Amino acid sequence: MHFAAIDWLIVVGYLMLSVAVGLLGKKYIGNVSHYLVAGRELGLHVGIATLAATEIGTITFMYNGELGYKYGFAAFAAALISGLVMIVVGRTGLVVVRFRALKLMTVPEYFERKYSRGLRLFAGVLVALGGILNMGVFLKIEGEFLMIVSGIDTRYLIAVMTAILLLELLYTVVGGMVAVVITDFVQYVLLSVATILVSIYAIYHAGWDQIVAKVSTTMGSAGFNPIENPKFGLTFLIWQVLLWFSIHTCWQTTAMRVFSTKGPDTSKRVMTWTGFIYLGRGMLPMLWGAAALTLFGVGAVRNGVPLPVVNGQTLAPIDAMPAMLANILGPGIKGIVVAGMLAATMSVNSSYLLGWSAVISQDIILPIREQIGKKPLSSRSQIFVNRLANLFVGLFLMFWGLYYTPPGAVYLYLNITGTIYLAGTFICVIGGLYWKRANTAGGYLAMLMGAAGAIVPFFFLHWSENITGFAAFGLAALGLVLGSLRGKGFRQPRQAVNPALGEAE
Amino acid sequence: MKYWLAFWTVSLVTAGVSFAVITGIVTVKGYQDLRAMFRGLAKQRIDEHE
Repeated sequence: MHFAAIDWLIVVGYLMLSVAVGLLGKKYIGNVSHYLVAGRELGLHVGIATLAATEIGTITFMYNGELGYKYGFAAFAAALISGLVMIVVGRTGLVVVRFRALKLMTVPEYFERKYSRGLRLFAGVLVALGGILNMGVFLKIEGEFLMIVSGIDTRYLIAVMTAILLLELLYTVVGGMVAVVITDFVQYVLLSVATILVSIYAIYHAGWDQIVAKVSTTMGSAGFNPIENPKFGLTFLIWQVLLWFSIHTCWQTTAMRVFSTKGPDTSKRVMTWTGFIYLGRGMLPMLWGAAALTLFGVGAVRNGVPLPVVNGQTLAPIDAMPAMLANILGPGIKGIVVAGMLAATMSVNSSYLLGWSAVISQDIILPIREQIGKKPLSSRSQIFVNRLANLFVGLFLMFWGLYYTPPGAVYLYLNITGTIYLAGTFICVIGGLYWKRANTAGGYLAMLMGAAGAIVPFFFLHWSENITGFAAFGLAALGLVLGSLRGKGFRQPRQAVNPALGEAE
Repeated sequence: MKYWLAFWTVSLVTAGVSFAVITGIVTVKGYQDLRAMFRGLAKQRIDEHE
């Protein structure tokens, strides 16, 4: 067991504090708008905290650490693109300003405003499916991190992760977005302290010059130049730009923060400043991965990189970073770092639980109810449906998340599963907001071709992630243009979102 | 290669410093925002009941 008593005390204390403050959120829930978008009361600073906490999880540290271990400094390109694109979105207000002005609660809700209820339902199904499958790998990888750093026996992996998921569910189901925002704030502070501490420890123990030398001898110039690196290259970089534009504007959990801000101007500022945090969100754990390569990369060479060997045991590259932390952090510091990582885990999971369950309830269940002639639900009943959807997503993750193992690099798996719906969604949103001729036929075709463009090349033709990404976005754009031009008259008259699905303000 | 290394070093320092500075500011001012959010939500509930 790597944990000392002080470490356990810090971790358990954090867990109790987190759940307690989360439960505080319940008393502020009056209607569905409070539950899903915190009454649109988010100011700049807490907006930054909740957006950053939502998108920085242990899973983020793990996959970025893996990228740093496998591809060295060249991997920094992915982090740089994610941050710079977010800053551009914030400065220009691309999509986010209009989204916020429309007072949406979910991304698919926009599809009913611009296109049709049927397309909203179709987009809702794709968004929920892609999102939940995407999130499906979180628990196992987060559990691996916890097991390696704390030294808990792997026999307890399922029990520990189930307990953590139940704690997240408890405050998310009860307090909705208000609870998530409060806990996100606490969790953001803690995870940031942990991030800074680990970065200092990693550089201190591995040494900057040694890291540079190890990357250089292992990978040559491909460890520094992303265009020269066979895994990346120019196509990867361009795909990443497209992907990050779509994530920062149309990813449900990110968009929910935009919807929750006090106004369009606040949403722009939140995006801009969080963009700077995104630089560190990617680069710092990549540096930890490169440090782990320096300290432990002495095993047999696989795919051009030596496997990590820690205490005589050969590990997978993704496990090198947590194994390094288990070895270099002392008592007390280890507790703070694990509490920070747990904070990161809980903030991401609770936000994702709320995000995907919101789509299931608002964009799938409620429209279907109306379609079959049932009377609209009251705001209180909508909250109840949301809570049930939350429980459903939680239960699904408990079973799927702990048993499924993603193939290949986790970062790329997450990118591809996200692309399944992001390609079509992003193209439909951009087309809907900025192209007058976009219509419902084009919308359907874009969603279908975007999903097919991600699934067929990657899972059946086994093309690279880069080409798959291009295919998905390219086909979605083609679908929107062709469908809109050839499907004249298909467009339904623009209608307001059904009041039953809107918020009571 | 040395230009790439210089570029990544500058990027990493920028990222690390931005991360630390923004975290400091958000920690202090985010608490005030949270209190404002609670006030706003409470006001919305009162307005709804009136």
